[in-house]
Amino acid sequence: MVSDSIVNGPAPAILKDFAKKKRSNRTAKLKQCKLDARREQWLSQVKNKGCKEESNGEGVSPPPYLRQNDERKRSLNKLETRTRGEENERSSFRDSDLESLENSPSGSILGANDSRKDRPGSSSGSSRSSSSGGCYSGSVSEEEEDDGCLDDWEAVADALAADDKRHQPNSKPPAEPKTPVGLTDSHEPPSKTYGAESLKPECHGTNSRVAANSLAWSPDDACRPQSLPNLSKLHSFTMNTEGHCGRGAVIWACRSIISPPSSCPICFEDLDLTDSSFLPCSCGFRLCLFCHKRILEADGRCPGCRKQYDPSIGDMGVNGVVLPIRLARSCSMVFLSVLLLSCINSVSDWFKDSFSFLGKFVKELMLLRHDGHGSGWKVYETGRSIKYRVNL
Amino acid sequence: MNCPSSSGGGAASVAAGGGRARSSATSVSVSGKRIQKDMMEFNINPPADCAAGPKGDSLYQWIATIIGPPELPYEGGIFFLDITFPPEYPFKPPKVVFKTRIYHCNVDSAGNPGLNILKDGWSPALTISKVLLAIRSIFTDPDPRNPLVPGIAHLYLTDRAKHDEVAAEWTMRFASLAA
Repeated sequence: MVSDSIVNGPAPAILKDFAKKKRSNRTAKLKQCKLDARREQWLSQVKNKGCKEESNGEGVSPPPYLRQNDERKRSLNKLETRTRGEENERSSFRDSDLESLENSPSGSILGANDSRKDRPGSSSGSSRSSSSGGCYSGSVSEEEEDDGCLDDWEAVADALAADDKRHQPNSKPPAEPKTPVGLTDSHEPPSKTYGAESLKPECHGTNSRVAANSLAWSPDDACRPQSLPNLSKLHSFTMNTEGHCGRGAVIWACRSIISPPSSCPICFEDLDLTDSSFLPCSCGFRLCLFCHKRILEADGRCPGCRKQYDPSIGDMGVNGVVLPIRLARSCSMVFLSVLLLSCINSVSDWFKDSFSFLGKFVKELMLLRHDGHGSGWKVYETGRSIKYRVNL
Repeated sequence: MNCPSSSGGGAASVAAGGGRARSSATSVSVSGKRIQKDMMEFNINPPADCAAGPKGDSLYQWIATIIGPPELPYEGGIFFLDITFPPEYPFKPPKVVFKTRIYHCNVDSAGNPGLNILKDGWSPALTISKVLLAIRSIFTDPDPRNPLVPGIAHLYLTDRAKHDEVAAEWTMRFASLAA
């Protein structure tokens, strides 16, 4: 076991450097080449852990249900002989029999070592190589969980039983240096996964394991804890693109409840907060204030039900009169600063235009300030014209 | 310092210009955006037997076709329509004209369909898909009580077989592919 990993030593050392280089590149959640990178990380760790087999036995916390085996070494040896003896049917064998060792880091190391050892062997044949491949990917995922166990020690420790406590002080020091430098941040998602799975061992099944093979954690993993800050950040990042399941669906549902249509059905401009709270007709047809005003100027019938709009509703509709004023003021600041900049530098024809326009603009603003709580339409119209000009 | 001022100045001058001709400029942009949305909606979910799209470069000039629905005297005919969107669209209805002659009590000799939604019954919430759906519906359900051509409506009410025969003949003559 130990000798195997030492023999394999030099190649992982090179790969380790390569993996480090790669890791610096994918600070921003790259998913492509993830499996590749994980394999290289794994290789480097196999070497390290193989050398520190002794400390590894205690250094990593096994899952609670594996704790029954007081003698870790013995179980490892048993496993080793089993995997070596029945390599040909190992893929199925592992799935069924070694599932209880899913969370066992040393188990993963064992399987990994074996599979690595198998790969160069040309006599293994196609069935062997395929089985070793499956075993390999499986051990990658386990390795991630194992790694998470190292990084997210507190989370794991919280979940563990009281008798596990005695392992903690011993295992933490050897666990830390084993992780290559710079690996910690890139391994946080898997660590969270491990935390989740150790918190809820009953959820830990083949599904999550299969998902972990390629992704380390899947967005729709039911076992994923809801209260992990780092995970939620990543989660929201991924859920932006696929808003189907999990928390993304909740966010989406909330948004859809708050503002039923996201854009005005007449002009297809986005509805802002004022528009969304604007319900001009009892039929429930929503539209933006600009289109509503436009319709009021013409025949004044609701596009949804063709009933005449009630003018009083139209005025009451602008209950968010503060918002347009604030909008107008903030926009006016932008616009005034733009104009001031232009005043400083040059005087030209357009400046005259804009200055005369500014006069009108300021008058509107003054009017807005003096009777800001007048008819809602005038206020909003002022804000609108400002908005338009700033946009232009 | 120069760069922001020049760009800001440009923005201000455009803004001032836009302030003068604001109403027309904004309405054109609103209608353009709305017509594009209509086109997207139409392409995603086109009504049965209907096709439509801009005639040339202008978004405001469309051409549409409606295939005569089966089991009707208009079966086998392809009816071309011109759709002209006003700059005030969608606050004003589009102008739809049959370019193919049709024997129908609700389509006058100039090709104007007697559809209420294209006149007083227009609603800005209507889209071009719904307009074409409504036009297609007058094939299946003529409204002889509000006719544009009273003679055809009278014939429809008194002698339906004769009406269908003439309509089928017109379809063969003017609306079939061979014609």
